[in-house]
Amino acid sequence: MTPDLSVALGRLRLRNPVMVAAGTFGYGLDYRDLVDLTQLGAIVTKSLTLAPRMGNPPPRVAETPAGMLNAIGLQNDGVEAFILETLPRLREYGTPIVASVAGETIEEYVQVAMKLSRAEGVAALELNLSCPNQARGGMEYGVHPELTAQVVAAVRQATDLPLIAKLSPNVGDITPIAQAAVQAGADILCLINTVLGVAVDARTRQFRLASKVGGLSGPAVKPIALYHLWRVRQSLPETPLIGVGGISSVDDALEFILLGAHAVQIGTANYVQPTLAQEVAQGLAAYLQENGIDSVTAIRGTVR
Amino acid sequence: MTRYELPAMVVEHRRRGANLYELILHAPPIAQGATPGQFVMLRPMRTHAPLWRRPYSILRANPDKGVFSILYSVQSAFTELLSLKPIGSTVQTLGPLGSYFQPVRSARRHILVAGGVGAPPLCFFAARLAPTLQSGEQILILEGARRADLLVGMDEFRALGAEVRVATDDGSKGYKGYVTSLLEMALNEPIESAVYACGPNRMLQAVAQLCTARGVPCQISLDAPMPCGTGVCLGCAVKVNTPDGGAWYKRACTEGPVFWAEEVVWE
Repeated sequence: MTPDLSVALGRLRLRNPVMVAAGTFGYGLDYRDLVDLTQLGAIVTKSLTLAPRMGNPPPRVAETPAGMLNAIGLQNDGVEAFILETLPRLREYGTPIVASVAGETIEEYVQVAMKLSRAEGVAALELNLSCPNQARGGMEYGVHPELTAQVVAAVRQATDLPLIAKLSPNVGDITPIAQAAVQAGADILCLINTVLGVAVDARTRQFRLASKVGGLSGPAVKPIALYHLWRVRQSLPETPLIGVGGISSVDDALEFILLGAHAVQIGTANYVQPTLAQEVAQGLAAYLQENGIDSVTAIRGTVR
Repeated sequence: MTRYELPAMVVEHRRRGANLYELILHAPPIAQGATPGQFVMLRPMRTHAPLWRRPYSILRANPDKGVFSILYSVQSAFTELLSLKPIGSTVQTLGPLGSYFQPVRSARRHILVAGGVGAPPLCFFAARLAPTLQSGEQILILEGARRADLLVGMDEFRALGAEVRVATDDGSKGYKGYVTSLLEMALNEPIESAVYACGPNRMLQAVAQLCTARGVPCQISLDAPMPCGTGVCLGCAVKVNTPDGGAWYKRACTEGPVFWAEEVVWE
């Protein structure tokens, strides 16, 4: 018997728990020639802002041990271009589309969310809470419980779509922020976003990123992501969770699921192996079959 | 332009210099689709460190035999892994990728400016350009490197019968100085030219400025750190002028690596 990979994150239902993470899969269509989009649990778009954004000056990326730093600066064509040019073609694949929403102000998050809610074919919104907050000198929204609650509550008022809050790991204790997001109306939590870091080029004696500070992703951050997910699972046992951070194999995905993740996202690994998400989904089915388990939900959260 | 993701078989690591090897890979769809200026992303093993694939310009491609090659030097963990791939093993390969050199048919002289390890795509371009030349058209190769032993692709260029002028920083071969000085001298000769260049970005900036100041059509192949090579990560940003007088970032991997010189904004 084929194991059941389907999962329900509240109202968000996925055929399998393997999604692709924001910013690592373009707007959704970019990899259609290399990846079977119908095999993905869901596609999260690049973060969308109200107006097109040019992004940060280069160098924007730096490779680090088992990871990379990025400071793209939310370069994107804007939410309108996504709705007009990408969404109509992307929804043809029938794979749930999760739009990643970004903003420099709460008003911008709300405006972007409203436009996406009115468009046909968006299954859920994911709030990128690692955006720099203009009013607070560029601090991430997601490092502050009240700011997190304000963004989530404002967007909650503006949309009926399932709302995912993507949390920042750049905090001492993530649980008050997770609780604030859920109390403010987030249906699902996604963790983690990138970990702040810097790197220096010893030869040129300069920061390796023009913006100096970047977000670390890749296999190096996986234990950090697992730690935060495990903490939030204990703190909020009923909230659907999406685990993301350094997944590059079936076993990596299983670690998150065993700790209580309903679904996982493949991020940086998409850069080096675009087909990884579909391979992980197939690998999960094989793992369940080999172990005589009939559904992925049966193993969720079994490591406590 | 179709790109392929496939395991390419290692045919040979051919020694080309003191620490310079030509890796010949068997991958018929890539060999057949490759256009000069394009590149491939290679991943010798599924490692976490190094994490990224690496972009390599295509040195030459033989569509009939289904092989293409790239040049590498062993100087990092990545290139060490690449060098250790046995004959008959496979290297995960994505390509051909990116934009390519377009011959400027109005030019009487095609000047190819190669700086050090930037020579491979120009070798490929020269090889494809030479058989298409009309009478009165010619190819001039200007190649620069720090030392004579670091000059790349001289055999290929000479085999085409093209004129080759060399500059080395230490004067160990040819003109003592930068290849951009050779370009300046060549552009002062009264013949309608087009320029195609690949090398360090500072060299390309000088080439671009020499050409745009003279109204000489110029294409440059830019290097940038490239995590994905496929256009999704926006890491390899290149600032360009937009038609409305503003600026935007294009991707070296997708809209590039070959850009028209006047399009690029230097900072």
